[in-house]
Amino acid sequence: MSETSEPKPSTQSESLSAELPIPKEVIAHDVRAGAPLAVSTGTNETELLTSIPRSLTYYSWKRLKRNKLAMGGLIVTFLLIILAAGASFLAPFDPNLQVLEYATKPSGFRGNVILQKSQIAGNAADPIAIKSYRIDGDNVKLVTIDDLAETVPISTLAGSNESDWHQERIYYLGTDQFGRDVLSRLMYGARVSLTVAFFSEVLSLLIGVVFGALAGFYRGWIDELIMWVTNVIWSIPSLLLVIAISIALGLGLWQTIIAIGITGWVDMARIVRGQFFTLRETEYVEATKALGLSNSRAIFRHILPNSMGPIIVIATAGFASAIIYEATLSFLGLGVQPPTATWGQMIHDGYGYIAAGSNWGLTIYPSLAIMIAVFAFNLFGDGLRDAFDPKLKR
Amino acid sequence: MLAFIVRRLFYSILVIFGVISVVFFVMNLLPSPARMMQGQRADLATRAAIEHQLGLDKPVFERYTDFIVQTAKGDLGRSWTSNRLVLDSILERLPATALLALSSMLIASILGVGIGILSAVKSYSFLDNFSMLFALIGISVPAFVLGLLAILVFGSWLEILPISGYIDQGWQYLIMPMTMLAVRPISIIARVTRSSMLDVLSSDYVRTAKAKGVSNRSVIYKHALRNALNPVVTTISAWLAALLTGTYVIEYIFNWPGIGLMTVDAIPKSDFPTIQGTVIFSAVIFVAINFLVDLLYAKLDPRVKLS
Repeated sequence: MSETSEPKPSTQSESLSAELPIPKEVIAHDVRAGAPLAVSTGTNETELLTSIPRSLTYYSWKRLKRNKLAMGGLIVTFLLIILAAGASFLAPFDPNLQVLEYATKPSGFRGNVILQKSQIAGNAADPIAIKSYRIDGDNVKLVTIDDLAETVPISTLAGSNESDWHQERIYYLGTDQFGRDVLSRLMYGARVSLTVAFFSEVLSLLIGVVFGALAGFYRGWIDELIMWVTNVIWSIPSLLLVIAISIALGLGLWQTIIAIGITGWVDMARIVRGQFFTLRETEYVEATKALGLSNSRAIFRHILPNSMGPIIVIATAGFASAIIYEATLSFLGLGVQPPTATWGQMIHDGYGYIAAGSNWGLTIYPSLAIMIAVFAFNLFGDGLRDAFDPKLKR
Repeated sequence: MLAFIVRRLFYSILVIFGVISVVFFVMNLLPSPARMMQGQRADLATRAAIEHQLGLDKPVFERYTDFIVQTAKGDLGRSWTSNRLVLDSILERLPATALLALSSMLIASILGVGIGILSAVKSYSFLDNFSMLFALIGISVPAFVLGLLAILVFGSWLEILPISGYIDQGWQYLIMPMTMLAVRPISIIARVTRSSMLDVLSSDYVRTAKAKGVSNRSVIYKHALRNALNPVVTTISAWLAALLTGTYVIEYIFNWPGIGLMTVDAIPKSDFPTIQGTVIFSAVIFVAINFLVDLLYAKLDPRVKLS
């Protein structure tokens, strides 16, 4: 699972940068036979821009780079992906290790624990919350948090070094009602959010592009059939459909991905269909027919690349709303099940305290995590939309 | 016009037929409901009896046609937990949901369109950037997060608003759910209005009107706004339809006794007839509202009839 959330940044940046940064010097060679190239060193951008037309992607990327908010969103998204992917190294503690004595502690709480080898198979360790301890030969004499003196043989402790079995823990964001570290759980929760959002969006993208392309290119009864299916799915409130499908499939990671994925393709199909409708009439697509080239060549080499702008924009919006759907599902107790940490579920667990106004961190921190993730992604998506819009000059 | 109405009506029925089919097939992916009703300890005889009672022992195609006919007659089945007719429960709770949805959408439409127009007219000003940033935050926050934050701030800390309950205990019970529900549609309507207005404001006829010396105010409200409202009306109607059929998380959080709360309550109880009934009911309302909006469009814009 740690690899799964990684592909997002690379595909995103590659799709954008693939055609872009031809070093400006190279262009002078490309143009070869004496187009009036005023600049070959590439220091003066405006002169280059007026002399050589380039792809829309190039100008879009240039515009995007100037958009500070969008780039900020992109950076935050990258950071989130790093946190999620590297949660195993970066998270301070095991997200599922319960120290019941340290339940619902505030942010910045410090507590000492001694880790014992677990009696239960599958558990990493059994923690004992302590006030103090000292090593006495082969034993450790400790005073628990309830002021009980205990003696424990070192051989029963987890790990061989003192630093393995004794931790002075700092809970930066406090602990939940089972004494689990909120910060670590947030980082592991990011994994679930991003994984579900990424794969469900890939699924939506595939269904939407295929349906939209078929409808827009072949028209006629294929178009009518696909538009009917699209209207049917569109008529059912998305959240309700996601709920119904995930109940039907059962609860879990891939079930959630499928439920969100097969609900969220409608916008994509509509946009792609619209693009195909327009682009099919262009002269360069007509030329492929005149040249006797196959339909698939026209679709994959000519129409689809020219639709990339809107497709990327819709996909980013879909990714953002997939995060919201995942959070809502797990808030309602559907979706990925405990003990796996998810943001929605953390909010659900903390929400009982809200009415009393206590332990609000348990609700606020995961809420902030969702807001930051979705907001960052939407900022980036908005920037993309503006960047791809040839009408906007700013 | 009549031909148009008949065509749209026929298509709407076709879409509802599709929805019922989708619901049937989604719900047939389920592990046997009889088993779920009985839990782990169900013995085979009881299971068979329940399956027979629910008609689950018939072939799939027959169940499918039965389901279509039954639903077409308006029978959404009985709840597995309360044994009441699902349609009755939905209709009983419709007023609560409708009150919340309509009041919310009223606020959302007025504020959303207002902010959108202001932003477009003063585009790229501080006001525009500021309100669009807020609109983006508005669409980035899930409804339940917003609801919980409101409960924490206004309910627990400031103690100025009640945190859960229905309007029959006083008007102040409506405020928080209504406002929190409105945030997302306000943001979306404002964004749609702004971009649609910007499109229209850069069109040729607006430039002509300005060149003729028509006052700025008149250009904006008489020439531009009317033509920019189409996508806005679509957005508003879609949201109204969506909210009218349940505002699941908000009703759940504020304990507002509407359709949404009923559906969310049905989830942990695995009360599938209730869930599938709400899905179908929602879709029918959605299709009906869209049908009416289409008619409105055809009336306002004669070009629509031809397409």
